[in-house]
Formats: sequence, C-alpha cells, structure tokens
Amino acid sequence: MTDPVRTLIDELIESQRRLDTPVARFAAAHDAGGAPRSQLIPLSAPGPGEQYAFQVDLDSCTGCKACVAGCHSLNGLDEEETWRDVGLVLGGTPAHPFQQTVTTACHHCEDPACLNGCPVLAYEKDPVTGIVVHLDDQCIGCSYCVLKCPYEVPKYNDRLGIVRKCDMCHGRLSAGEAPACVQSCPTEAIAIVKVSTFRSETPNPELAELSSTDSNYTRPTTRYISKNPLPANLRASDADTLRPQHAHYALVLLLVLTQLGLGLMIGSQLSALNAQPLALTGLALFTAGLVASVAHLGQPFRAWRIFLGLRRSWLSREAVLLGTAFPLLTFAALHPLIPELPFIGHWSLVIGHFAPTISIVAFLLAASGVFCSAMIYTDTRRYFWRFSQTSGRMAGTVLVAACAFVHPPLAAGVLIAKLALELSTSRGHSSSARLQQGPLHRQWGSRVIVGLLTLLLFFANHSVMGFLLFTIGELLERTLFFRAVDSPKMPGVPSV
Amino acid sequence: MKSVVENLLRARTGPMTTELVRHPSAHGLGLPQVPSRLTPVSTTRSICGFCSTGCSLNVHLDADGQAINLSPDPSYPVNLGMACPKGWEALTPLAATDRLKTPLLRNPSTGRLEPVSWEVALGAFVQNFKAVQRTHGPHSLSFLSTGQIVMEEMALLGALAKFGMGMLHVDSNTRQCMATSHVAYKQSFGFDAPPFSYADFEESDALIFIGANPCIAHPIMWQRVMMNPRNPEIVVIDPRRTETAVAATHHVPLRPKSDLTLLYGLAHLLIARGAVKREFIDAHTKNYEAFASFVDAFTPERVATETGLPVETLHRVVEIIATKERVSFWWTMGVNQGHESTRTAQAIINLALMTGNIGRPGTGANSITGQCNAMGSRLFGNASSLLGGYDFGKDSDRAHVAAILGIDSERIPSGKSWAYDQIMDGIDSGAIKGLWVIATNTAHSWINQKRFPDLRRKLEFMVVQDMYATTETAQMADLVLPAAGWGEKEGVFINSERRLGVSRKVSRAPGQALSDFAIFTLVAEAWGCGDLFRKWESPEAAFRLLRELSRGQPCNFTGIEGYDHIQREGGIQWPYPASRKSETASNSPIPPQSQRRLFSDGQFFTADKRAVFHFDEPRPMAEPPDSAYPFLLNTGRGSSAQWHTGSRTNKSDVLRKLAPVSLYVEINPADASRLGIANNDDVVVSSRRGDAPAFAVVTSTVQPGQLFMPMHFDAVNRLTFPSFDPHSRQPSYKACAVRIARTSKRHDA
Repeated sequence: MTDPVRTLIDELIESQRRLDTPVARFAAAHDAGGAPRSQLIPLSAPGPGEQYAFQVDLDSCTGCKACVAGCHSLNGLDEEETWRDVGLVLGGTPAHPFQQTVTTACHHCEDPACLNGCPVLAYEKDPVTGIVVHLDDQCIGCSYCVLKCPYEVPKYNDRLGIVRKCDMCHGRLSAGEAPACVQSCPTEAIAIVKVSTFRSETPNPELAELSSTDSNYTRPTTRYISKNPLPANLRASDADTLRPQHAHYALVLLLVLTQLGLGLMIGSQLSALNAQPLALTGLALFTAGLVASVAHLGQPFRAWRIFLGLRRSWLSREAVLLGTAFPLLTFAALHPLIPELPFIGHWSLVIGHFAPTISIVAFLLAASGVFCSAMIYTDTRRYFWRFSQTSGRMAGTVLVAACAFVHPPLAAGVLIAKLALELSTSRGHSSSARLQQGPLHRQWGSRVIVGLLTLLLFFANHSVMGFLLFTIGELLERTLFFRAVDSPKMPGVPSV
Repeated sequence: MKSVVENLLRARTGPMTTELVRHPSAHGLGLPQVPSRLTPVSTTRSICGFCSTGCSLNVHLDADGQAINLSPDPSYPVNLGMACPKGWEALTPLAATDRLKTPLLRNPSTGRLEPVSWEVALGAFVQNFKAVQRTHGPHSLSFLSTGQIVMEEMALLGALAKFGMGMLHVDSNTRQCMATSHVAYKQSFGFDAPPFSYADFEESDALIFIGANPCIAHPIMWQRVMMNPRNPEIVVIDPRRTETAVAATHHVPLRPKSDLTLLYGLAHLLIARGAVKREFIDAHTKNYEAFASFVDAFTPERVATETGLPVETLHRVVEIIATKERVSFWWTMGVNQGHESTRTAQAIINLALMTGNIGRPGTGANSITGQCNAMGSRLFGNASSLLGGYDFGKDSDRAHVAAILGIDSERIPSGKSWAYDQIMDGIDSGAIKGLWVIATNTAHSWINQKRFPDLRRKLEFMVVQDMYATTETAQMADLVLPAAGWGEKEGVFINSERRLGVSRKVSRAPGQALSDFAIFTLVAEAWGCGDLFRKWESPEAAFRLLRELSRGQPCNFTGIEGYDHIQREGGIQWPYPASRKSETASNSPIPPQSQRRLFSDGQFFTADKRAVFHFDEPRPMAEPPDSAYPFLLNTGRGSSAQWHTGSRTNKSDVLRKLAPVSLYVEINPADASRLGIANNDDVVVSSRRGDAPAFAVVTSTVQPGQLFMPMHFDAVNRLTFPSFDPHSRQPSYKACAVRIARTSKRHDA
C-alpha cells in the first residue's frame, strides 16, 4: 500500500515547480497614455549653448530611494552595481533641525574630469545633448576616471574589467521615454531639463553646498532646487567616515619599481665601481615595474590604444614616455656587453659612438615619464596628491636609489627630506592625516620604522642592505599613498 | 578609409556595449525599455509582499514563465506605476544563496541542524508535537505566525491549528504592529474597519500624521500626499524631526508618549472653540457627553506642560482642524506601539468623530497598516477572532463557521486565545511546551529579546518554517521547514485601504521548498486530520471558503468571482457584496468605484449603528528615564530599504547600499558634547536588560534627552522594555530608559 503522505509530498513538490505558461498580454498602461513621467523630460533637443541635465527638487525628495533601485532594475545592472546613490545631509539649528536626502547620479559635467583623464578616449560628450557617455568596449579598465571624478561616479565592474556609469538613459530620452530614475520617482523629484552652458558666475551653488567639496571645476550640470534656502551648516551624514581607499598594488609596483630602476641606472653612470651590476639591476626593476602595470588593467589587450589620450591625459603621456624609454634604457644598460658579441665586428664602434647620446635621451624620457607619473595623481586635484607630495615622493625615490650605491650618507640625507615630506601629511585634521593615524596606523607605523632603519644602514654605508630595506619602505609608502588619499564624493548614508 | 581607422581606434560597439543597450519591449507590453537579456516574453501582475501599501508589480517573465525582472504597474490604483526600493528588489531575496532547500532536523548527537527528507521532517513534527500534547495537554502547543503570508495560508494555518490540532493559544507578529488599530476600530466602530481609501490623501485640506513617517515607511502613500492638488496643511506629530516632519508644513515635536494628553488637549480646545459638529455627533455617535466632560480637565496649560509644547502650537493645530473643510488623521507605529495605544488611537478616532471628519472625501481616522497582509491576518488569522471576524465565544458564530467549512462545530474552541506576550509568559510558566514559528523572527523582533533563548530552552520542541535557516530564530529550532516565498506561490493580500489584491506564482522555489499552503496541507495529512480540509484543495478554493465566511459581515466580499476578477478590477476593496458587482462595469483604467471609503451614511457597525467615544486617563510610561538611565530610547524604521529584521532585504546588494550597514544611534548635539561623544564614535547603549554597541550619529533631529535606534538590527530589542497596551496587548517598543557611553574614539590620533 502506498503511503498517502509520501504521495502527497511528491505531488506538492511537483506542483510547486510548475509555473504558468506565459501568454503575451498587452499592458493596460500603454493604451492609457504616454510612458510614466514623460512630462518630466524636455520636448525638444537642446539648442546651441544648451545641454541636458538632471534637476532634483529637494523639497520633493524625501528619502524613498526608489530611483536607485529603479535605475538598477530597468538598466539591467549587475547585482551589486548602482549608478545612482542617495545620501543624507544633516544640519539646521536646535529650534529648526534639518535633514535632507540627496540623490545623485553622473552630473554630466561640462568639463568632465573622467573624459579629460581617459588615456584611450573611452568617454565622449555628446555634442547635442551634452550627455557624457562611456564607451564600454573601448575601456581598458585602468580606473583612472574613478580617481579623476570628484563625485565617485564611474564604478569599476570586476566581472567585465571595465568601468560603467550613468548615460542619462539617452536611448530612452531619444525615444521620448523618461530615464529610469525619473520614471521611478514617486514624487516627481527628478526631471531632465535643458541648461545653458554659458555661465560666468560660480556654477551650481546648491550642488557645491551639498557636495561640500571644491569640485565645481568640472562644471557639473545637475540642478538642485528648493523653495527654501538650505541651512548654512549642512554636513553629509558620512562626512566623518574614514574610508581607506583601494591600494592598487599593481600601481604601487609600477611606480616604485620604475623609479628605483631609473635611480639605479642613473647611479650606474656615477659609479665607476658597480656600473654594470647597477645598470642591469636597474633595468630589471624598471622592466618588472612595467610588467606589473599591465596587471592593473582590467582589459590589457585593449591597451594598445593608450596613445590616443596624449593631448589631455597624463596617463597616456606616462605610458608613452615610459614605454618609449624602455628600449632605450635597455640599450643603455646592455651596450657595454655588445662588443663581446662575436658577430658584431666594427659596428661596435658605431654603437659606442651613439651610446652616450642614446643613454641621455633614455634617461630624459624616463625622467619625464616619472614626472608624468606624478602629474597623473596631481591632476586628480586631491589634496593628498598635491604637486609637492607626488613630485617630492617620486623624485625622492629616484634620487635615493641613485645615491644608494654611490654615496649612501647622501642617500640618507635625501631620505630624511622625503620622510619629512611624508610625515607632514600625517598631522592635523585632514582626512589623510586621520586615515594614517586611524585605520591605517599600522601601515603608517611600519613605514616610519622601516624608513628610520634604512637611514641607519645608509649612514653605516651598508648600501645593499640599505637599498633592500629602502625598497620595502617605498612599497609601504606608496601603498599608503593610495590608501590614505582623500576621496571626495556626494553625501552618503551614515557609516563608520 | 577614415572610418575604418576611426572604428579601429574607437570601439563604439561590441559585446560590452550591447549588453546594456536598451530595447523597447516586444508585443506592445507597454513596459519601459530594458536590455535585451531582460526582454520579457510576457508580464503578469502581482501584489508586492513587503508592506501594507499593496503595490502592484508587473513581473516580467521569460518563455518558461520564470520571473526575470519587474517594474511597477502603471494602471493599478494604489501605486500608479511606482514602487519603493523594496518592491523593485522583490525578486532578489528569492535567489539568495542561503535559501533553505530541504527540511533540517537537529541531530541530537551532533547538536546540529541536518538535512532530512520531508517524510522524516513530518514524522518528527507529528511525533514530537503529539508527545508534547499527550504530556502537557492539547493547549500546550502554540504557533506564532505572520502578516507576511497570503490570507488563504493564514486561514488554513489557523483552521488546522485550532480545529485540527487542538491548539488554543496562537498569535502572529501582527500583534507587534497592528493589534492596536484592530482593537481600537472594533471598539469604536463595531468592526475592524479602516474607513479610508488612498484617494483621501489627495483630497484632504489638512493631513494630520501622528507617529507616522510615511516618507520612508510608506513612500508610495507619501506619493499620494504629494499629488494632493488642494495645497494642504500637513501636520506631523512626532518627537523626532523625521523626513516627513521636514516635508510637512507644521512639525509638532511633542515629548515621547505624551500623545494621548495632546490629543485630549486638542479635543478640549475644539470644544472650547465650538468647532464640533453637534449634528453628526447626535445622529451617529454615543458617549460624547462623557468624553466632553472628561477632556474638560485637559486645559492648554496642563497639556503644554505635559507635552513640552508651547500653547501656541496647540492653538495652531486646533485652528487647522477647526477651519479646514476636510481633515484626515493618519497614524502608524508611533501610536500603535505604546503602553496606552488603544486609547491613543481612539483619541484620534474621537477627534475625527467630533469634527465630523469621517465618511467624506479627504477625511477619516485612518490607520496605516504595517505588513502586506496585516489586514488579512486581522480578518482570517483565527487567533483572537474566529475566521472572518466572528466571535469564538458565541455558539451561533461557531456553528455558522463550522457549517461553511463542513466540520463539526465541536472542533471550534470557545476559549479565548492568549496574545503573543501571554504565550511567551506561558512558555516561561511551563504551560506552553511546543512552538511552531511561521515566517517571523521572534528571536530578533520580540521586545526584551534577551529573554527568548531562556524561553527556547523551556520548549520541548520548536519548529520554524521560513525561506531561510539563517534567521536568528531558525538557528534555535529543532526542526526547520523550507518555505517558498513571495512570488513562488499565489494568494490574496488585503492592504491598508481594505483592498484585496492577488499575488502570483512567478518563480520556482528552490529544492524541496514548498508553499506554506502546501506545508499546512502536508501537516494536516500527517497529523491525521486531512479529512477536515478536503475543501481547501488549492489557495483559490480556500479563497472561496473565506468569501463565503465574509457573507453578511462588514467585510463582505461575496461579489468577487475569483483571482482573475480581482486582477481585472485593479484590486477590490471590501465591502463588495454580490449585489454590488453590477456597478463596476467601466472601461476607464481607474474607475471611480475603485476608491471607496466607509461610513458615508454615518452608519457604523455597532449594534445601534453608532460610533463610540472611548477614553481613559493617561498613564505614565512603564520605564521613564531616571538618573541611572537618563535617556529615553525611541526605536523605529531606519530607512525605506530595510524591512523588519532584514531576513529578506539584507539579501539584496542594492538595498544594503541604501542604508547603514551597522547599528547606529542618533543623539542630539547637546547631549553628545556633554558626554564627549563625537559623530561616528563607538558607543554602547545600555538598558536594565542589555547592551547594544553602535556608532553615534549626532543630529538635532532627535531632541535632547532622547535617542533613536533603527529596529532592523537585532541588538536593539535587547534594550526594549516589555510593557503592553492592556487592550491590544501590543508591545511598547518606542519608550524605554537607557544610558549611553563612548567606548572608543573613532580613528582619532
């Protein structure tokens, strides 16, 4: 006899797995009239001197955050990917406390920092609509736009190895459909408007007030409007949150190793004794740095286009200069070995004749490349990466390496200056200081101890040990350089 | 040539670009553009399974009928094409990696929950629960269920437990949110009948929100407020300056738990001003004279002292109520979760009655419900009232229900069920020895939660039925039954405005997970009482039984043909008796009949058709702040992206991004600076019952002397004080005494 419960279990499990076969149906909505919120988009394309922009009515934005989820679902973004964010600002007086949610997507800036920094021209600003579009199949995944954008808009996507960002749903707009966020806002707080692009005064004071960063240089176009003036003491609810940034280890290796390598090769020119081993070690380090940099890219096979951005991008310039310097540096390091080659014959004379010139050119190119490395970070306008810091640190790496085997006490002297420059950033109330004294204090402490031990070794004329320890110290320093950087963004939710 | 070079240099198309290119939907589905990967073959409408707003979602289906995406339904009269982030993300929790796929039984030798077959699970269920009943009597078995499952499942559970398994004491988590409204309406109107329609949000000249923060708790209702074309006054009565208070025209920041005094004070001033509608009062209410003389003592000076509000504020609010043509009153958990919540809700009802603000457009004393099916639970939970709003104590009611269900009326108990807190006390005293927990997370959400592990040890057998075995409560169970979730089964929810809506099966449940309906059917068979439930062969068959039970009741919905009829009409509000059907033929997408309010004829559901004024002297809160615990802790919803204990919303990356990921406490700057607490500092909040570590959010949106913590983090209910409203037995989550101290400076030099 069959057990009735057992039979029922099988039946119920089978019926649980059965879904209705779908029948295509017309949704009533379509017959009833236009797409949702289509009255919140302009009727005509922008004219000359105009572009599209998001407009957010702060009085209507009350914290439901549907825009973020709507954008995510209607644009088919990855599970953890969001192109819009909603944060909170707090302020007001004891008698009139104030809170306001702030929704933000890409500001589609008039002078987009992402576009200006991209080494492969993967960003385009549409000449008619002004929408800043990212070309996903062009992107090499270098993430430089993430560092360049003062609003944290482009988001790196691990699955694809590229960044993606809001495109104002331009395809919807051209079909008369409102962007996903606009059509998902229950209170009609978000609209697309046409704004004039010829503005002389400080653009967008409300946005500046809400973002509390000095980032208007990109000329963001989003309009925040309110019937009431915003209180003066507004603060993002996550203003005190310390967010250690990505360490970018591949870039740490690129920067430290190319700079050490260049330093050693310069040192080899000054040292009669160890010229050849220094030059070869330098070349090896430089090469390793370049190889490491490839690991930083999400899409390395697209990187051949990296020269495209030469006109605007310091990253293009760095890549081209270091890349061009590489074969010349190889020649400079290896040419003393050439006369030993059996087939070389009298060509060695010719080579010998041009070698000094080629070496000088190689060093100049590589040094310019290092200058570009520094400018890459300075150009992000982040305070921690200001010119004195980036150029001082990177030049310091080259100089200490150059002196390490020639005159160790001199190397120690340069290192003292470099350490002083670094330590000046760990005091005070800047977010970089608080990061180094807070969540990053271990790395910071290690860096200081390693630096001091390196000094002792150099003063004691231990070149080899000193240089090894110096290398470790520089890797720590450059990791901190990335992790402790201030990272401006729009307001977020409270967090620690 | 130039274009060849240009194309080589600039890859404007390719697989990654194509992935995101949006296309209009085929078949004229009237949907927004979506990437081709998500292009639906068809759509079906389904009511969202989070809150009581009851939004309709167009679920996008692939060729197999499996849900792949959704967008809010533009033609539904509730949400008009909008959804909050929880609705947008409703499908995500179904795909969570920790979905329970098989039953789990605790292995006595390892002490761990281990997968077993349904046969073994049902065997353990029946054997252990029957053993409990043999030893301790039939009433030693209880269940705690939920407002999150469909009405048919609630009814089947209630019927199975009480008529089939012999339980008496059963309750659900709706006790934590809606019991007060239920009791208040029942006493005042004669039936649990929220009188409003969402259209009233749009038709008011003044909206008075008491203990409600719809901006984040019910954003789609707030949408309706924003659509109000009458330029309304919006008054928010709340100790905190919430999102809604900021958006209002007037914020009334009263002292916590002084709301009853304030409401009586408003009644006093309205009477003094002569702003009462005598005609309505005389024709349709009773007990007004006693009420009027009672509130005589609530002078503005007394009320100002006790509420901490200036007298001018009282006059301003009274001015609005007295002069505006249509005034609506709305309350939520700030009222319901109080130690004298039923009288507070009734004080609101009294204001509406005495000013004649009921039964007309844009008026009403309106309770905004919490869970998606709290209203279904109130009618068909079979806990405190018999299926369909009947009385367990009445012989005629029991006979009537038994006849419809085709069972012997002797099977229906005449005794009164204990409420949630009494069941917990019953476990403590040893009266309850077996517990079945369905789709709720008691170990997280119950007030004074630290007591629960001790209670658990006193239970001989505890079964948890849930989508996940990872909830705090499931982790403590002896047996966990894998349940299908919202979207994996069908049935009816009733929303805040009494609208029945259908939720559809659009996704396959993982592994051997079964709908709660199927689990209850299985339990009935395994228990040996399957014959009692032959009429309940499917959710829709169960719906027909419930429809029959509604006949002659105020909630009569005998005019509804079935699920398809409900969907065709865009949901149907009760009452909808069979005689009403003919009125609704209309082709416009939102027919006027789709928004109906009660009491336009002034006839209430009491025996004499009169609404009753109820009132009591305000009592002090159970645990006021003192020198040892000087702060008053208020708890509540933290964001629109979190739902209750987070068992579902924490599964969505998007929702997790929209809210703080760790527990925080809001503190006023004056208190913070006095205690040396800076923004983001680590603090510990302590009550006489427990400690909760948190980080500080310094903001003047909370008043000095008060703290606010979001309920979505489990540590919060370690602190709360177990006091209960005497009428509704609803816990008072929003007032207990705590202290706060800094534990470490956050990242300081």
